[in-house]
Amino acid sequence: MSASTKPLLEVRDLAVRFELPKAGLFAPKRHFHAVRGVSFAVPQGRTLGIVGESGSGKTTTAMAAIRLRPADGGQVLLDGRDILKLTQDELRRARRDFQIVFQDPYSSLNPRERVGSIVREPLDLMKVGEPGEERNERVRELFSLVGLRDDQIALFPHQFSGGQRQRVSIARALATNPRLVVCDEPVSALDVAIQAQILNLLRRLQDELGLSYLFISHDLGVVQFICDEIAVMYLGRIVEYAPRADLFRTPRHPYTASLLAAAPSLSRRKSAGYRRVSAVRGDPPSPFNIPPGCAFASRCPNAQTRCREEEPVLRQFGEGRVACHFPLD
Amino acid sequence: MSEPLLKVDDLRVEFDTRHGRVTALDGVSFDLMPAETLGIVGESGCGKSITALSLMGLIPSPPGHVTGGRIEFEGNDIAAMTKRRQRQMRGHDIAMIFQEPMTSLNPVFTIGDQIAEAILLHQDVSRGEARNRSIELLKTVGMPEAERRARAFPHELSGGMRQRVMIAMAISCRPRILIADEPTTALDVTVQAQIFELMRGIQEEFGVAIMLITHDMGAIAEMADRVAVMYAGRIIEEGDADEILDNPLHPYTRGLIGCIPLLGKEARDDGRPPKLAEIPGVVPPLHLLGQGCSFADRCPLVHDRCHREKPLLTGSTHCVACHATQMEAA
Repeated sequence: MSASTKPLLEVRDLAVRFELPKAGLFAPKRHFHAVRGVSFAVPQGRTLGIVGESGSGKTTTAMAAIRLRPADGGQVLLDGRDILKLTQDELRRARRDFQIVFQDPYSSLNPRERVGSIVREPLDLMKVGEPGEERNERVRELFSLVGLRDDQIALFPHQFSGGQRQRVSIARALATNPRLVVCDEPVSALDVAIQAQILNLLRRLQDELGLSYLFISHDLGVVQFICDEIAVMYLGRIVEYAPRADLFRTPRHPYTASLLAAAPSLSRRKSAGYRRVSAVRGDPPSPFNIPPGCAFASRCPNAQTRCREEEPVLRQFGEGRVACHFPLD
Repeated sequence: MSEPLLKVDDLRVEFDTRHGRVTALDGVSFDLMPAETLGIVGESGCGKSITALSLMGLIPSPPGHVTGGRIEFEGNDIAAMTKRRQRQMRGHDIAMIFQEPMTSLNPVFTIGDQIAEAILLHQDVSRGEARNRSIELLKTVGMPEAERRARAFPHELSGGMRQRVMIAMAISCRPRILIADEPTTALDVTVQAQIFELMRGIQEEFGVAIMLITHDMGAIAEMADRVAVMYAGRIIEEGDADEILDNPLHPYTRGLIGCIPLLGKEARDDGRPPKLAEIPGVVPPLHLLGQGCSFADRCPLVHDRCHREKPLLTGSTHCVACHATQMEAA
C-alpha cells in the first residue's frame, strides 16, 4: 500500500483447507476452505492487524503464513524468499527471522521448565551465539528488555502472573532477533490493566528494535492502538484492507462498520438514551456451507439481489481496498 | 425515593486455602433499586463473581464461608427465611445468567426441556403448558424458528444462541432481579451487541432490575445506571455511571478507565494513539492483604496512612474509599 516502504512479508493468494470426514466409505473427499485467496503485506517496522470474529480464519491465516500449519496454495515471501518452498533445514534456519507470541500465556509455556531455559531454548535450537555464557548473557538482556528481573530467571511459569508470563513469551519470541513477530491475540487472555502494560511494551519494543508485527485480534480498540494497517476478515476472506486512520474514520464494508458500531466505547451512554441500532442480525452462516455470492449478504443491511449471486472481489476504493458491491461512502 | 429491592449490608465471605483463611469479600454493601441496572466492575479476582454467587446462595462450602452481613430482599432478611422460601426466591425472584453458556446448559437434554424444567420447578403448570411457554420464551429472546429450535441440543446452537437460551430460562419465572455475570465475555462483538440489546429490551418490558458483572467499561457505559467498582474484595467507589466514567475519584478507577484502548482516543502528531495509562504491578493475592489499603502498593497517591489503615467508603451519592481523595475533599 505505502509504496515507499518495501514489504518485509508479502502473502499472495494464500489458501488453507481442512479435510472433512467423508459422508461414506466411498464418498468423495470433502474440504472446508478456511482461508481463500488472502493477500497482504507487512511493511518493514510496521504492524499489520488482522481482525475478525471467531471462525473468520484470522489465526489460520497467520499460522499458514509462518508455516506452523500447511498451506494449500499461494506464496509467502519473506524478503522475497518463498517460505512455503523451503526445505525443513532451510526452514529451521529461516525461523530465526519470524517468531510468534501465542494467546494463552498459561498453555504456551512448558510448566516443567524454568523460564530462563524457556527463553534460552530458541538460541540453543537455532544455534545462535556461543553455548554457555554468551547465551546466558543474552537471556539476561532479554529479561530486562521485557521488564522482568534477573532473579526471576530460575523460576517456573506457575510462579508468574498472566501478564508476566506473556512477558516471558515475548522474551522467547525475541531471543533470535527476529524481524517479524506474529502476535496471535497476545492480550485477550489478560485483565485490562495488564493488557495496557503488554500493549505499551509491544509498541516500545517495535520502536527500539524496528520489529514488524502481524497482529491478530478481535478487539478493534487494541487494533487501533497498535496497528498501522488493518485487514478485516470474514469467513476466510479479506473483506476490507485499509490504513488505520481511514478504516476507523470511514469504514467501507458494512461488516467493518458493524464491528465498529459494536466495539466498546465510553461515549455510548445509557443516560444519554443510547440504544444500539444493531444492523447486523443473527450469526455468521456456517463456514461449512457458505452461500453463493457475498458471504455477508445474509446479515448485511444493504444486501441486494446481486450480493446473493455474485461474490465481490477485493478492489481499490478510497484509500484502501474493499470486497463489496455497494461500499459505504 | 422508592425502597431498594435488594439490600446487601456488610457482606463477608471467607475461603479456606492452603495459605489459611482468606477474606474474599470484606464488608460489601450496596442497594439495588427496582428496574435499575447496577454495574459491578473490576479485574479478575476482585470478588465480583463471589458477590453474585453469595446472593444466589451458591458459594461452595467448604471451602467457602459466609461469615457476616445481611441480605434483604424486599425488606426481608434472607437468612431468616425458611430453606424452602430461600430456594423459591432464588431462581424465581432472583435469576442468574453465567459467562459460559455451554457449560451452564446440560448437553443431554434439549433446550426446550431445560427451559420447561425451570418453569415446572417454580410454577404450578402442566408439562404441555410449560413446553408451550418455553417456545414463547424462545421467541421473546429472539430465537429464530423457535418451535424447531426448542428440540435442539445445546451443541447444535452457536454461543450467542446459547446465551439467549440462558436468558430465556432466567426470565421464565418473571424474576425481579437478573444477575448477569460477564454475560457476553465469551461472545463475538456483533453478537455481544445483540445480547445487550436483548437485556435492555427485557428490562423495559418486565421492569427487572439487572446486576451486570463485567470488566468492560464500555459495557458499563452502555448498560448501567449506577456502578460499583471492586478491588480485592471491597467496593472502592460507587456512584452514578456518568459520574464514575467522567469524574472517577479513586486512583484505581482512574487507572482502569485510562488503560483501555478505546476507539476514538485522540491520535498524536505521528498519527498513533497515545500510550496507554498503566497501573503498575498486579492485584495482590488475597492471603497477602495487609491492614492498610489493598491498592496502596500500586497507587500513585500513596502515603503513610494508606499502609496503616483501610479507607472506608464515604460520600452520599458518589462514594469513594481512598484516604488521599477524602483528604482532598475535606
